[in-house]
Amino acid sequence: MARLSRPEAEDLLYAEARLLDERRYDEWLGMLTADAVYWMPCNTDGVDPQREVSLVYDNYARLRDRIGRLASGVAHAQSPPSKTKRLVSNVQVEDSAEDDATVLSAFILYELRRGRERIFAGRGEYRIRCDDGRWKITSKKAVLVNNDEVIDNLTFIV
Amino acid sequence: MPSQLNLEELVQDTRVHRNIYLEQEIFELEMERIFERNWVFLGHESEVAEAGDYKTVPIGTQPAIMTRDEDGEIHVVMNRCMHRGASICQDQRGNSSSFRCWYHGWTYNNKGDLIGLPYANGYGSSFDKRKFGLIKAARVEKYRGLVFASLSPEVEKLTDYLAGAKYYIDLFMDLSPEGAVEARAGTHKYGYDGNWKFQMENGVDGYHPNFVHQAFFELQGKQLGRKVMQLFSGNSDYETKDLGNGHSILDMAPKRPVGSRPVSNILRGATSQAASDAYMQSLIGHYGQERTAEILAASNVNIAVFPNLLIIGIQFRMTIPISAKRTDVHLLPTTLKGVPDEINVARLRAHESFYGPSGGGAPDDVEMFNRCTDGLRVKGAEWLELSRGIEREHVDGDGITIGHITDEVPQRTFYRRWKAAMCGAAQAEQIKPLRVARTS
Repeated sequence: MARLSRPEAEDLLYAEARLLDERRYDEWLGMLTADAVYWMPCNTDGVDPQREVSLVYDNYARLRDRIGRLASGVAHAQSPPSKTKRLVSNVQVEDSAEDDATVLSAFILYELRRGRERIFAGRGEYRIRCDDGRWKITSKKAVLVNNDEVIDNLTFIV
Repeated sequence: MPSQLNLEELVQDTRVHRNIYLEQEIFELEMERIFERNWVFLGHESEVAEAGDYKTVPIGTQPAIMTRDEDGEIHVVMNRCMHRGASICQDQRGNSSSFRCWYHGWTYNNKGDLIGLPYANGYGSSFDKRKFGLIKAARVEKYRGLVFASLSPEVEKLTDYLAGAKYYIDLFMDLSPEGAVEARAGTHKYGYDGNWKFQMENGVDGYHPNFVHQAFFELQGKQLGRKVMQLFSGNSDYETKDLGNGHSILDMAPKRPVGSRPVSNILRGATSQAASDAYMQSLIGHYGQERTAEILAASNVNIAVFPNLLIIGIQFRMTIPISAKRTDVHLLPTTLKGVPDEINVARLRAHESFYGPSGGGAPDDVEMFNRCTDGLRVKGAEWLELSRGIEREHVDGDGITIGHITDEVPQRTFYRRWKAAMCGAAQAEQIKPLRVARTS
């Protein structure tokens, strides 16, 4: 399928941002490969999730559970749900190879829940792979600027 | 409806008044009468494993530093320059043999002694540097690596204070074949708009899980092929226990024989057979068959140590009071020494699945604390009811009060201790009982 271009990478990340903002989590899951890993490090930029606790370190099965819980109607921390809007920018394609690329991004995420507004910012690191003729996310690392601070309720998907 | 209540009346045998969660004046008294006069949990010694290691940690609302000196001794000093009050240590963790206040350069060693006084000849001959050491916690003691400090010297020995909780802390630590855990795997930090006592009550509340955590349990039940929610239902054989001095436990050790039990509740199905077998053999090698069975049976715990420590799952949890309606919580997940790496990785993943700001369970608890703060603004309903199980609780041969898992035995013992600390001390010192006006 050739190499991932920056416009293609941007399209992918914008589409992802929209699905997450609209809480279309099943469709979002469809953007991931079956061996995907979603990592949101805690305390640091993330060195070794096998030795450090993470905010989220989910494989595909755990992500499916997470989404199932959020859709269960009794996920109280998301009842009412967070309304979010995220801006994704500074997209760079690195280490691009045939059918495989690393994509870096920056994001700002606005959240509104129960009348309280919060802003998160961070860096995205993606591995994108061509899977059955489609570019898919095979790993996503979301490094929050405030991941070493007290964070109330971060139960929507960043 | 009482329009005014004194402090002693706010906490009764089976109910507590909403003001204890809402009034800043009561919060300030809690800081003084509980957090300044009682053992307070500060962390685990492995967090300051090496000489010079330190971490900053509050005692109540006061900033302190837990340090390890070059002789291996742990000290707790207050994070306040004795010159003009600036905090002297700005990092959450680090390694340093000294702390310099960058306001005017006063410098202290990690025992708290003033060792550097810039342009010292500006001070008169009567100035005694030895009198300007950092304020130190009056007592610092450890139990199985857990570090506690007291700002008052008038506390019993920590091992006496821990009372019945000691037995269960031992079981938790002995999940390591070496009898040692480490808390160096990072810290989950979350907060909520509510009183610190909500967290302490909830950590040993066996009545809420089937409602607050229904979504989690239903998924878990499907995966494990068993009825998880049965364990917190009216038919459960799990128990609540009053461990003395305000401490308590949700005792979830199975009542049936444990011979065929898997490695641990936490790790069920999460590790390879080889890693489980190696771990099991190692435990049996160190402790023997019988003790190993006892340790594994108790591998799923919720222990509360008054006033601010919970031991839950694999974690030490520190409740940090900020104000009457604001609380921070730090979770220190532990790793076991002397086990295959795979076991510790599985523990971390199990922890993350439920706990932390993005966990599948704990944020739902936190949501309830926020909702309590919201609901308690209603006037006219002044009391929170804690009578569940009062007629069926019983005392066992060791003098431990035991209730059903869904009973409010832990909350009642917490508030007995709270009341003794808040009112007993006040009376002893002839302080006039506080008159607390209704929230206006």
